[in-house]
Amino acid sequence: MRLDLSILLPHLGFLAQGALLTAEACVLALVGSVIMGAFVAIARTSSSAALRRIAFVYVDIFRNVPFIVQLFFFYYGLPEIGLYIDAFTTGVIALSIAGGAYASDIIRAGILAIDQGIIEAAEVSGLSRRVIFTRIVLPIALRTSVRPLGSVLINMILTSSILSTITLNELTGSAQIVVSQTYRPFEVYVVLLVVYAALTYLVSLAIAILHRRLNRDMMEAVA
Amino acid sequence: MIKVENVKKAFGQTTVLDGIDLTIEPGEVVSILGSSGSGKSTLIRCINGLEKLNGGQITVDEFDVGKPRELAEARKRSGTVFQLFNLYPHMTVLGNITLAPIEVLKKPRAEAEATALALLESVGLGSRADAYPAQLSGGQRQRVGICRALAMQPRYLLLDEVTSALDPEMTAEVLAILAKLAQEGTTMLFVTHEVEFARQISDRIVFLDKGRLLVDLPTQEFFAADGGMAQPRVAQFLSKMRKD
Amino acid sequence: MRFADFTAFDLVLLAQGLGVNIALFLATSLIGLVIGIAWAIVRYYRVPVLSEVITFVSELLKNSPVLVQLFLVFFGLPGLFHIRVAPVTAATITLSANTAAFIYVIAVSAIESIGRDQIEPARVFGLTRWQVLRHVLAPQAAAFAVGPLIALLVNQLQVTSLISVIGVVDLTKIGNILNMRTLKPFVVWTAVGLLYYAAAKLVALLGTRLENRLRAHSAWRGL
Repeated sequence: MRLDLSILLPHLGFLAQGALLTAEACVLALVGSVIMGAFVAIARTSSSAALRRIAFVYVDIFRNVPFIVQLFFFYYGLPEIGLYIDAFTTGVIALSIAGGAYASDIIRAGILAIDQGIIEAAEVSGLSRRVIFTRIVLPIALRTSVRPLGSVLINMILTSSILSTITLNELTGSAQIVVSQTYRPFEVYVVLLVVYAALTYLVSLAIAILHRRLNRDMMEAVA
Repeated sequence: MIKVENVKKAFGQTTVLDGIDLTIEPGEVVSILGSSGSGKSTLIRCINGLEKLNGGQITVDEFDVGKPRELAEARKRSGTVFQLFNLYPHMTVLGNITLAPIEVLKKPRAEAEATALALLESVGLGSRADAYPAQLSGGQRQRVGICRALAMQPRYLLLDEVTSALDPEMTAEVLAILAKLAQEGTTMLFVTHEVEFARQISDRIVFLDKGRLLVDLPTQEFFAADGGMAQPRVAQFLSKMRKD
Repeated sequence: MRFADFTAFDLVLLAQGLGVNIALFLATSLIGLVIGIAWAIVRYYRVPVLSEVITFVSELLKNSPVLVQLFLVFFGLPGLFHIRVAPVTAATITLSANTAAFIYVIAVSAIESIGRDQIEPARVFGLTRWQVLRHVLAPQAAAFAVGPLIALLVNQLQVTSLISVIGVVDLTKIGNILNMRTLKPFVVWTAVGLLYYAAAKLVALLGTRLENRLRAHSAWRGL
């Protein structure tokens, strides 16, 4: 039994590239999730019963089907209907749709938590519903949603490892290649484990800082 | 002119407004008095369209607030100041005041900001334009609320118990501003508990009791023994307010 | 009839695949429950060193991808210890540990939610530590933890889909096989998704039933 972490050194650059791909995919998918989540949240709170139903079904399905199945559905299915998209884009789309299901609940809660009086003040000033939503409701809801959306991002970073199954050389995929070259699976995967954990820890720190900065203006000043 | 005709409003089984008739002419300062539950705030919320009527009609300069298309025009002509300020927490004081002029009146940003700063100066908050609502005291927030309403250059200013959430010192500073506005000829419709204040600056006083309009008289006559005070409910109410 | 078409036997295959997922889910949930609660008890009694190690391991398992954990056990351990690990064994070990980490956190928060003001009187009355645990802590902690527990289990059921990547012939693996044979990805993956969805809903339903039964006996009815 020999444990030798130094064999990883020449491959660090390659792994770093994989990490970068993971980061890119997750950031894009986060944006996609928030957009998706915002639309679905609006649908969930809309006055149309049909829209509410569709939104509910979407959230229900994508929270109760394993991500790998969702991914395969898009990766193998889309070419069948003529859409030839590369693995990276397919991965981002799949992550966005899955993430959107969770984001919508968060954003919806954020919207419902807004003081009615503020909306009323906006209404009587003559602001249109569209402006009220984009300039007042969404900005406030997103500020209060930073922490839970941060959890969605962290979850997404972990889930992105599954993208390695559709030949994407993100962090896990790159690690698999390094294993095939060094024949040292234990060292590689242990390091990989720690890297992911460290990554999510850093992100959670960043989220805490972001939450404080965004909400600093809205928090009561200590007299 | 704001015309309130036979307005009825109920929340579920409870009737809150039971056939109110009221007219406000430009330039008038009218106060609405009455105990809690008499329907005062509801009346204001019907005039600015936050509540839908169950009967009757309200028109602001001939625009019917009951008709969605006309409501937008009616709202342009009135400005509301709220008891709980309702400032936008994520925007600066300047942002709060300039949002509607830019989005609704389509004013250029520079012009809107200039108007806003002038308004802030007139209420003594010229230096706080970049502050956030959370950093201001209650009295300061309400002054911003007044500026926000005035920035839209409304014909009629609706004020819903705007000092009820303030301590005596802040109440005084806000009332001073309102007195100045009244002097300058702004049309105002107050819902208030400040009887003395109402007496000092109003042209007319309206008394609501249990959803009915009992008295609608010029100020002096309202407080006269053979005028408003002849109504038992009015006398009862005023003596209670004096005790507090 | 070409072999590439669907046959009735395919339904049997799908069912068998789902059976593998469910079997593994039940086994690892049980093992994870036992281990996780044991860890929580260790933490409750503030055993030195061991408590810290457990917390560290738990955080590592919670904040790294399950896929990487599977690779570590399936590829890494054989490499290091020169032993053979069957896919099912690796899957069982990994998922049990992963579940245990999450159970540990839920158990800790459930125990901590029961104030010490319940435990002290019990001790004063002469109950032994074991009796306090069994009659005072456990019932109330269980009632408190059921909600998050159900959400966790539904999630872990979906996580079992990842065992297909290390070669276990579960529902997802069957899906891959059928997909490759029939080349009808939409049909295959919708069917697979539907089966997972049904299983998840079943777990959630049973869980809510259990929750209601527990709540009925517990004093925390209004919570």
